[in-house]
Amino acid sequence: MFHRVLVANRGEIARRIIRTLTKLGIESVAIYSEADAEAIYLKEATHRVCIGPSLAKESYLCEEAILEAASQSDCEAIHPGFGFLSENAVFAARCARQKLSFIGPSPQLLSLMGDKAIARATMAALGVPTLLGSEGVISDLGSAKLLAEELGYPVLLKARSGGGGKGMRLVNHAGELEAALVEASREAQASFNDGELYLEKFIARARHIEFQVLGDHFGNVVCLGERECSVQRRNQKLIEEAPANRFSPETRTKMSQIICEALKKIGYYNAGTMEFLASADEKLYFMEMNTRIQVEHGVSELITGIDIVEWQVRIACNEVLPLKQEDIKFSGHAIECRINSEDPENEFIPSPGLISKLVLPKNSPSGPVRIDTHIVENFRVVPFYDSMLAKVITHQADRSEALKLMEQTLSTLKIEGVKTTLDFQSSIIKSDEFRSGIYDCSFIEKNLSSLLSKNRS
Amino acid sequence: MAKLFFHPLGRKIEDGDKEYHANFKEMSGLEKILSKKREALEKGWGSNYQERVRAKNKLTAHERILGLADNLLSIVPINSFVNDGVVFGDDSQAKSCPNAGVITAFVRIHGRWTMVIANDNTVASGSWWPKTPEKIIRAQEIALKLRLAVIYLVDCSGLFLPEQALTFPGKRGAGHIFKMNSLLSDQGVPQIAGVCGDCIAGGGYMPIISDRVYMTEQAYMVIAGAALIRGAKSQHLSSHDIGGPHVHVHLSNCADERVPDDQTLVIKIREEIARLPSSAVPYYRGSELASAPKFATAEIAGILPVSAKKSYDLRQILARLIDDGLFWEYNQEQGQEVICGVAKVSGLYVGFLSNAQDLFAHPEKPGEQRAGGILYREGVKKLSRFCRALNDDGIPMVWLQDVAGFDVGTEAEKQGLLSYGSSLIYANSTHKTPMMTILLRKASGAGYYAMAGMPYDPVLQISTPCSRLAVMEGQTLAVGAFHTKLDDDFNIATKDPAERKLIERGMAQVVERIEGDMNPYKAASQMDTDEIVAVGELRRYLECFVESSYQTIGYRRIKNPRIWSLHDFS
Repeated sequence: MFHRVLVANRGEIARRIIRTLTKLGIESVAIYSEADAEAIYLKEATHRVCIGPSLAKESYLCEEAILEAASQSDCEAIHPGFGFLSENAVFAARCARQKLSFIGPSPQLLSLMGDKAIARATMAALGVPTLLGSEGVISDLGSAKLLAEELGYPVLLKARSGGGGKGMRLVNHAGELEAALVEASREAQASFNDGELYLEKFIARARHIEFQVLGDHFGNVVCLGERECSVQRRNQKLIEEAPANRFSPETRTKMSQIICEALKKIGYYNAGTMEFLASADEKLYFMEMNTRIQVEHGVSELITGIDIVEWQVRIACNEVLPLKQEDIKFSGHAIECRINSEDPENEFIPSPGLISKLVLPKNSPSGPVRIDTHIVENFRVVPFYDSMLAKVITHQADRSEALKLMEQTLSTLKIEGVKTTLDFQSSIIKSDEFRSGIYDCSFIEKNLSSLLSKNRS
Repeated sequence: MAKLFFHPLGRKIEDGDKEYHANFKEMSGLEKILSKKREALEKGWGSNYQERVRAKNKLTAHERILGLADNLLSIVPINSFVNDGVVFGDDSQAKSCPNAGVITAFVRIHGRWTMVIANDNTVASGSWWPKTPEKIIRAQEIALKLRLAVIYLVDCSGLFLPEQALTFPGKRGAGHIFKMNSLLSDQGVPQIAGVCGDCIAGGGYMPIISDRVYMTEQAYMVIAGAALIRGAKSQHLSSHDIGGPHVHVHLSNCADERVPDDQTLVIKIREEIARLPSSAVPYYRGSELASAPKFATAEIAGILPVSAKKSYDLRQILARLIDDGLFWEYNQEQGQEVICGVAKVSGLYVGFLSNAQDLFAHPEKPGEQRAGGILYREGVKKLSRFCRALNDDGIPMVWLQDVAGFDVGTEAEKQGLLSYGSSLIYANSTHKTPMMTILLRKASGAGYYAMAGMPYDPVLQISTPCSRLAVMEGQTLAVGAFHTKLDDDFNIATKDPAERKLIERGMAQVVERIEGDMNPYKAASQMDTDEIVAVGELRRYLECFVESSYQTIGYRRIKNPRIWSLHDFS
């Protein structure tokens, strides 16, 4: 096993990784930018190295500085966490060249999955149901018609340079296609000066369901079940839960099998997440694969009892994964709320500043209340990085108990000095629609104003 | 051991880069000519001749090679342009011979690189033209150096007799092919022959020395064909009757197996290759796999200006040739006119030795600058030391040439550039590690020699569509030829307008002739370079060279990085 590992990240995930390294008896080297120099969690690492100024580009994204730090402090491996350099194939290759184990998949797998189109084509070829669409922009009405027939209506037209719903049209049947093409293209041309469109299968009331996997260097791949992350605002996940709502054990077993088989064929190793869109009739469509630990890994850890970071490290050190699929057992239900320093009343803009008061409810990494955070009282939230302050996770025998515990936990958690999404999260947890478990990716968009008004009251 | 720190080279091309787009356009023009020429080559003497081949229930040479290869990317042709632009015979019956009548190519079969030598049966029934034997010998030489199995696809009606004087008697006359057959056999390099048509006279020896000889039912091998056999006519004997598979497989045992047709032959030969030891490439790659360059190789077309007068950033080109764009540069501070370093190509270590083009600070005279693309003492020293270390460590070398020559003048002579250059030439002449030379653009004067040009036996030398191979650039030669008429600044001395005009015209003629001679197709036609490739294909040729260099174990030194002598310099 490794003796010393560099953690190439910051904040709660750095602290989370350090915790597992300590548990395994591995020395940790934390890196930090000048902006993070005062962060308390750094003390939990065995060693600390300043790698540059506040801007991420000059610190947490600076490959040169991180490799130098690893080399100077005699590290054997690098854990990249998520974001920053975690999915950078060239960085992984540089680590490999200087015999520094990159705790993640190979550079080749990072590149493969980094190109979404290639990733989808690869998975489709390996028998994974995939969200398909035009491989490039639509050339003419005829080919759009053929493709739409093949995918089955409804289909979605999307502007190549799109965003914010402009140049987007839902087409329910063949009769609407021509008019929609013309309108969407005109709108896209006017909005983005680019009238080119893509066409893809539209999934009504889609939900976001993703599968956590672990694979080793010896061809063993297991699936740690799924998570549902349909509570999203502009593609940013706010709440994640495991297992998914309204999800049959048969589909879980079948999908786990398909995913593991496909990943074995490409020789996938280390942790990863396969993201899918799920239709109302429980059909799944592969979107992309994240080749790293994810923010929401905690919910899977609590329901399976498996420390995913621990296995990332062990796999990187060439240990054989002893778990077989039948060994993976699920117990209870876990929910995670991300608490960000953002102002929900003001388009969720980041709200940096000094945390003047912090009250954390009783928590433990093994639950039932788990809080992954790096903040303490008098911690200064800096504006250079993402705004996540804490991940609050509760784990109980069933969903309603987990929700109840979450409600209690959020009501005792106090963060003052910066604006946060804490109360906003509480309103979601209390809302009838969320409690019913019958919701999809449109949940936030649909309920934003009512959630905000509840938040205020 | 010192640790290896690889650093990323190169940067993204910005969208609005006008120079890039202008270069790209100019290079595309040259590459269009290249692809037109290739299309023509593939047709041989044209569709009539392809039809004739098919009427005999045979495949064309191209089709046979396609059948052998793992996929389209597994075919890397060499010496395609031999005899390009040359015609034989009288004007009324002048004949060209595309491909010199024989296709030679690296072909990957079951993951192993082989050398395929296939008579082009769409060009004069695959007969041997002037330079055909040389082309075959060159392919055999390469295979011998890299210990690659050789596959002969024989379909050859013999020497093209009207031009026999050019192909028969010399040191590299047709007979030398059989000497190479023997040397390959002597060194334990597998040779497999598939006789799939005519195989007359000398052609007969080429397959016989091979370890395994297949004959299709259409094939025959004879010392002399029926036309030269007394009485054959009255007995209605054909060459096939005299030397078909029924004779050579069963009676003479000159061949091993008979197969019904070309399609089956191709399957059988693929099976033979599968029986050979597998490639050592994955072993030498280790746990690190091959990866693509960080930026697309095709972008080199926009970075390398066609005009040899324009400068560019060589590191931008290197970044587009090496895995992940990662480079371990040797001694960046010294001899800045050359760039040396180690990278991986297809997951395997390779050393690069190349010319920087930009101006750089004079190492001894503060405030003065030197032009790149020229060899000075410091650069030559650096090249010598680096290439000796690569040879010592068994790291294949790639020379990327864009060199105008050695520095000249009193300073250069006083410093003894002659001896530094000779030392480099000695090193390159005695190397045992595979070398490949790429003529990016200029390949002039002694610079071409010192940087492992063709006379120094690189395993492979390839040119780009804008490479220029010459002792001197046209303008320089014109200055030399007319130097008695020029002043100190190389301007025409005379004031007499008539004489001036005469000298101007004379110099222009020299420039024009030399420019014509520097055309890469002329070099390729004369076999002074092994192939002309589009810049976007450079990586494919590099991969083929590097993988071939690491494929076979046991015949050359390959050290692991821990014990590289390169570390002694750090």
